[in-house]
Amino acid sequence: MTWLWVLLGVLAVLLAVLVYGYNRLVRLRNEVSTGWANIEVQLERRADLIPNLVEAVRGYAAHERGVFEEVTRARAALQEARTPGAAGEANEGLTSALGRLFAVAEAYPDLKASENFLQLQDDLTDTEDKVAAARRYYNATVMRFNTTVQSFPWLLFSRPLGFREREFFSAGEDTEPPQVSFAAASP
Amino acid sequence: MTLQEQIRSNRFRSTIVIGGFVVLLLVLAALVGLVLDVSLGAAALVFAAVYAIFAILRSRSMVARMTGAQEVSPSELRPLRRLVENVSIGAGLPVTPEVRLVQDSAPNAFAAGLRPERSYVGVTTGLLETMPKRELEAVLAHEVSHIRNRDTYLMTMAVVFAGVIALIADLGFRAIAYGGRSRKAEALVAVLALVGFLLAPYAAFLLRMSLSRRREFLADAGAAEILNDPEAMALALRRLELDATTVRYADASTAHLWVESPTDRVDSERRGVLALSGWFNTHPPIPDRIAALEEAGGFQLPDRLPADEPFARELEDGSPGSRKGG
Repeated sequence: MTWLWVLLGVLAVLLAVLVYGYNRLVRLRNEVSTGWANIEVQLERRADLIPNLVEAVRGYAAHERGVFEEVTRARAALQEARTPGAAGEANEGLTSALGRLFAVAEAYPDLKASENFLQLQDDLTDTEDKVAAARRYYNATVMRFNTTVQSFPWLLFSRPLGFREREFFSAGEDTEPPQVSFAAASP
Repeated sequence: MTLQEQIRSNRFRSTIVIGGFVVLLLVLAALVGLVLDVSLGAAALVFAAVYAIFAILRSRSMVARMTGAQEVSPSELRPLRRLVENVSIGAGLPVTPEVRLVQDSAPNAFAAGLRPERSYVGVTTGLLETMPKRELEAVLAHEVSHIRNRDTYLMTMAVVFAGVIALIADLGFRAIAYGGRSRKAEALVAVLALVGFLLAPYAAFLLRMSLSRRREFLADAGAAEILNDPEAMALALRRLELDATTVRYADASTAHLWVESPTDRVDSERRGVLALSGWFNTHPPIPDRIAALEEAGGFQLPDRLPADEPFARELEDGSPGSRKGG
C-alpha cells in the first residue's frame, strides 16, 4: 500500500506546482496585456496630434508637400501596426519624419512663434515622454513574462498551454531593462 | 518577486497588522474590564472601533492636515503634473495620483491614500527648488512605488490602529492612577494591567516603525525600475542627505510617510524615550539605501553631484514650447 501513498503524494505535489505555475503565467501575461494597452493609448494620442501639426505647418509652408506626405504616411503606418515590434518600428519612422517636419519649420520664424504651433510642439514632447514611460513598463513586464516562460520547470508546460514569448516594443537601445531585483535591495 | 506578488504580500501583511491590532485591542479592553469594570471595557472597545472607522475614513484629509499639503489647481504646475503622469505610466498605475504642495523649504516628498485611485503625492516647495528634473522624477517614482506597492494602505492602517491603542492605554492608565478604587487583593492585577498598558503603545509603535523600513528599499528599487535609471534615485538620495534643512510640519506621527526621515527632532525624542534608536528609525540610513542601489544597478556614484538646474527654474519659464520639441 505504501507505494500508492507515495504515488499520490508525488501527484499532489505535481498538481500544486502546476496550479501555481499556471496562475503565475496568467498573472504575468495579464501584466503584459495591460502594458501593451498603455502603449496603444499613448501612440493613439501621438497619432491624433499629427494632423493638426501638419495643418499648422502647411499654413506657412504649403509647398513642402513631400514632408507632409511623408509624415502622413508614417502616421498611417503607425496606426496600422498590430504587433509590438512593428509598432515600435513605425513609431521610430514617425519620429524621423517629424524631425524633418520640424527642420522645415525652423525656416519660418512666424510659425515657430505662433501660439498654436508651440502648444502642439509641447503636447507632442509630452506624448513622446509618455510613450517612453509606457514602453519602460511594457518591456519590463515582457521581460518578466519571457523569463518565466523560458525557465525550468515552467517551460515544460508553458508552450503546450499556449504561453508564447512576447515581443519587446521598439528595437531601441534600452530594449532590455536592467534587472533591479527586489531581493537584492532588501536588507 | 513580481509586482503582483509584492502587492499580495503587502495585502497579506496588512491583514496581519489589522488582525494583530484587533487582538491587542481585545486584550486591552479585557484588561480594562478586569481591573475596572466590565461595562467600561466594553464601552472602550466600542469607542475604539468607532474611532478607528472614523479615522480610516478621514485618513486622506487627516494626513493632508498633518503634513500641511495643499491641493494644486489643475492649471498650475503643469510640468510637475506631467512628471507624475509619466512615472505613473511607467509604474503601470491605472490612475495618476493627485499632486499636493507643502510650503516648506526642506526638500522632501510623501505619498498618502488608501487606494491607488484616491492617492496623492505631496512634494515640498524645497524639493522643487533643490532637485533637477532627473532626480525629482526619481523621488516622484519612489512615492508612486509606495502607492503601487500598497505601502500607503498598510501604513495608514498601522498609524490609525497605533493611535487607537495609545489612546485607550492612556485612558486606562489614567483611570488606574487616579481612580483610587484598588483593594489589596486587586493590587497584583493592577500591576499586571499597568505593565500591559505601558507596553501596548510601544508594541504598536515598534510594529509601525518596523513596517516602513524594509519598504523604503523596495520603493527605491521600484523607482529605479520605473525610470530604468537606478543612478537617478541614488543621486536624489545623496542630494537629500547633503541637505541639512528639516521639515517644519512633520511630527513623529507622519515620519514614516516621507522619502527621507523628516526631522532630527523626531530622532532625539525617540532617543529620550528609549536608547534603542536603531529599532525606532522609520527609515534606513541613506548611505545604506545608496549602497543597495549601487549594487543593484552596477554603478558608482560620483563624488560630486551634477550641478544641473533645479526643476523650479523650469516651472518659472514653463511656457509651452520652451522645451525642445521634435
